[in-house]
Amino acid sequence: MSHLFEHYGASGQGYSQPDPIISTDNIQIPSTLVRSKLPRWPRISEPEMVRHYTWLSSRNFGIDTGFYPLGSCTMKHNPRINEVIAQIPGIADIHPLQPEHHIQGTLAIFHEMQEMLGICAGMDAVTLQPVAGAQGEFTAIRCIQEYFRSRDELQRTKVIVPDSAHGTNPASAAMAGFEIVEIPSREDGRIDLDALSSVVGDDTAAMMITNPNTLGLFEPDIAEAASIVHDAGGQMYYDGANFNAILGRTSPGIMGFDAVHYNLHKTFSQPHGGGGPGSGPIGVKSHLAEFLPGPVVRKRPVLPDDKITAVNTEWWFHWHEPENSIGKVQQWHGNSGAVIRCWAYYRRYGNQLKTMSEHAVLNANYLRHRIIEEAKEKGVSDLFCDGAPVEVAKHEFTLSLAPMKEKMGLGAMDVAKGLLDKGYMAPTVYFPLVVPECMMIEPTETESKDTLDEFARKFVEVLQEDPDTLHNAPVTTKVRRVDEVYAARNLTLSYQFDE
Amino acid sequence: MVDQLPNLGREKEMLEAMGMSSMDDLFADVPEPVRTVGELPLRGPQTEEEIIADARRILGSNVALGERVSFLGAGLSRNYVPASVFQLITRGEFLTSYTPYQPEVSQGMLQAMWEFQTLISELVGLEVSNLSVYDSSTAAAEALTCAVRVHNRKAEQKDTVYISELIPPARMSVIYNYTQGGGITIKTLKHNDDGTLDLDSLAEAKGSCGVYLEQPNPLGIIDGGLTRVKEIIGENTAFILGVAPVSLGLLEAPGNYGVDIVVGEGQALGSPITYGGPLYGIFACTKAYLRMMPGRIVGKSIDVDGKEAFCLTLSTREQHIRRHRATSNICTNETLIALMGAMHMALLGPEGLEKLAKRNIAACYLAKEKLSQIPTIAIPHFQNSHFNEFVVELPGLAADCLEYLDTQGVIGGFDLSTWYPKKGNWLLVSFSDQTKASEIELLAAHLAVWSASLVKEVTA
Repeated sequence: MSHLFEHYGASGQGYSQPDPIISTDNIQIPSTLVRSKLPRWPRISEPEMVRHYTWLSSRNFGIDTGFYPLGSCTMKHNPRINEVIAQIPGIADIHPLQPEHHIQGTLAIFHEMQEMLGICAGMDAVTLQPVAGAQGEFTAIRCIQEYFRSRDELQRTKVIVPDSAHGTNPASAAMAGFEIVEIPSREDGRIDLDALSSVVGDDTAAMMITNPNTLGLFEPDIAEAASIVHDAGGQMYYDGANFNAILGRTSPGIMGFDAVHYNLHKTFSQPHGGGGPGSGPIGVKSHLAEFLPGPVVRKRPVLPDDKITAVNTEWWFHWHEPENSIGKVQQWHGNSGAVIRCWAYYRRYGNQLKTMSEHAVLNANYLRHRIIEEAKEKGVSDLFCDGAPVEVAKHEFTLSLAPMKEKMGLGAMDVAKGLLDKGYMAPTVYFPLVVPECMMIEPTETESKDTLDEFARKFVEVLQEDPDTLHNAPVTTKVRRVDEVYAARNLTLSYQFDE
Repeated sequence: MVDQLPNLGREKEMLEAMGMSSMDDLFADVPEPVRTVGELPLRGPQTEEEIIADARRILGSNVALGERVSFLGAGLSRNYVPASVFQLITRGEFLTSYTPYQPEVSQGMLQAMWEFQTLISELVGLEVSNLSVYDSSTAAAEALTCAVRVHNRKAEQKDTVYISELIPPARMSVIYNYTQGGGITIKTLKHNDDGTLDLDSLAEAKGSCGVYLEQPNPLGIIDGGLTRVKEIIGENTAFILGVAPVSLGLLEAPGNYGVDIVVGEGQALGSPITYGGPLYGIFACTKAYLRMMPGRIVGKSIDVDGKEAFCLTLSTREQHIRRHRATSNICTNETLIALMGAMHMALLGPEGLEKLAKRNIAACYLAKEKLSQIPTIAIPHFQNSHFNEFVVELPGLAADCLEYLDTQGVIGGFDLSTWYPKKGNWLLVSFSDQTKASEIELLAAHLAVWSASLVKEVTA
């Protein structure tokens, strides 16, 4: 165990800095505001610091470490060229308040991304400002709220979400001030149109849904659901968390959605960085465009007076404030660094993004098939079942370990920990809440057939483990099963210094 | 031809194993009427070499701050981030990991974030810090909704918060969007002519849920009066303060003068400006706000062998458990940028932070001294203490001045009429540890020439 705060050597040894450009001895600050005691930060030299963080990294699992089938999170390979591009001074060293003629390059890329995202989702206008998927949801719901206010439909106070929805959906709508109406899914995990019909009305503002849904299943009745909501005067919101499954095969626009968010850190390979940064642009149909957070990028032909630092001699890119903008959701223009990484990713695929989605779906179905076949062969197929009946899955699938729980008292969490011992990141567990002992598996398109075959074998090996072994898993990890209850009961949220 | 797909060429074999014959079979469940017809109308795929060439060409048309002499700040700061930080965060185990839901294989990031929490707690003098929110504006907004949740029951002014009238409109807009859904009323606090908070106006905030102020304030002023805020508003009103973290190498830890929630823009510690994102928002508070705060937090625990271990904790506040009753919808945050911050803070150490703060304030004071010698311009808040930036009052429009300076290769600062429409002549000039004395001389010379030419025009 190495603790950062146990490093306390000579002062100033981390890195040396030039002296202040004038003496600060005579600079007055209010006496009540003079710092009484410096923070107890470590005094660590660069070699020790590099070793500390390298040691920490060795205790962390990333996509680069191994297979990361974390359902709903789309843990695909993060191309390294994206990191190289993000360090170009023309992205890292520019300020959001620079005039337009200083930032034509950034605006050109933003414009290209707005256009591309609009095309992919079948939407008419896009903003790149939201910095995470949840913020995108919130932003779109705010646009829908202002749309109804502008039409004087103030009675539309309710947002409908299926019980299988991501937790961010109800949380985002509630933050905007909406009342949440949760509708149960059908036995087969799909939208219940009757349940939907029974709750829509002139108080419906929107329905929020992801398709494929959180069970990894395509909602075949999506167009009908959209009609029901639209007929009641409501708006359809598409949670783009599962967009990786359908790009180029269908789109939220065709399905009848009015607004959508994109998780650039899922579909477009921005690295997740241990929890962020992300980027959550939103796209909307034309009737919502005037409400988007501002500004958005537009282009016009170059004029003779333009200060020429243009990207090309044809187009001039400029900021435009939507007429009835909801204002801002982030101080500046969103996570530009993430947008530009994802631009590099987009350029890699171009009009072949469909191939990416096809391989994501191919891999998910193949892995599901292999797990089922392998379990049959080893005689353990009675320990799990599909989370919902599946003809064909999309980018992910769910398994319920409820039968195993019943037979052996061991469930999804135990299998997850067993998989850690096999050298894998565990799939998402206990989500969606509608599936008991749920395990949600998303391989992504960047895993090879060999990796999938091997994982299926190891998965079944875990099911065959002796119950005690599984109960005690993991044993090969840096620490063993962590006591989360202890952490909550004995809150220690920072290093305890010796006084 | 696209790359990065290991199973290209193996599709048939995999499909056949499943008893399928084409990729179309995988999408048979998508009803005909909602299928996309034809190819996406986008450009063709590019190779890595072509992409990097395009990126260099397109982004090369941007004017990077480093190519010019720049005095543009307004809440973001040119800084120097030690080389080892950039090297270490490209380690794939950090870069390509997700939120640490499985603590047994995520001890590295969990411990690094627990250390980050400690670094921030020590910096601001409060017991609790989360592991980042998006940026300073959403941190301020979430602090206000948090304050309402904690104090509304006892508040005399229910659902009401007070904010400094100096707040930049973009930040105010974010706060409005985050608070309007809760039916929160925002009232403003007045300032004196010298740019400090009007403490008489502050008395109106007593009995409300919270007060949001900034130190230094948006005009760069270090306001000594803020040490009296808590005694004026009382214990049932949250004192929320937005800080510039580097300034805390010289300024008192806000927790030591009654601040309940500290928020701020972490960027200056660890991150380039990157056109304003990704950044990381600091959120720290006293224990009274812990269970109502937004975002992820790491706690120290033990494993089944009793060995020290870390895990996410208090997640019952969060959206994935509490759904529409969550304290916030935040899920993805800015962990990797916060990690850069932690690395930078660790390398600075306490004395390094103090020196960094001194370098910043020294540049600001040298500029104050030099610009105050120009007879045709004024520094309206000259008598106050400043950090990083101050206001210059010009004999003409700041917008015109900036245009002139731009022709001279100088990014002269920020036109404050963007924030305060009546202040067309106010220019906000910013200085950081990266500012050189010769650059200040250059700015002074250009401002003298420009303003003299204007004054001459007027007298002629």
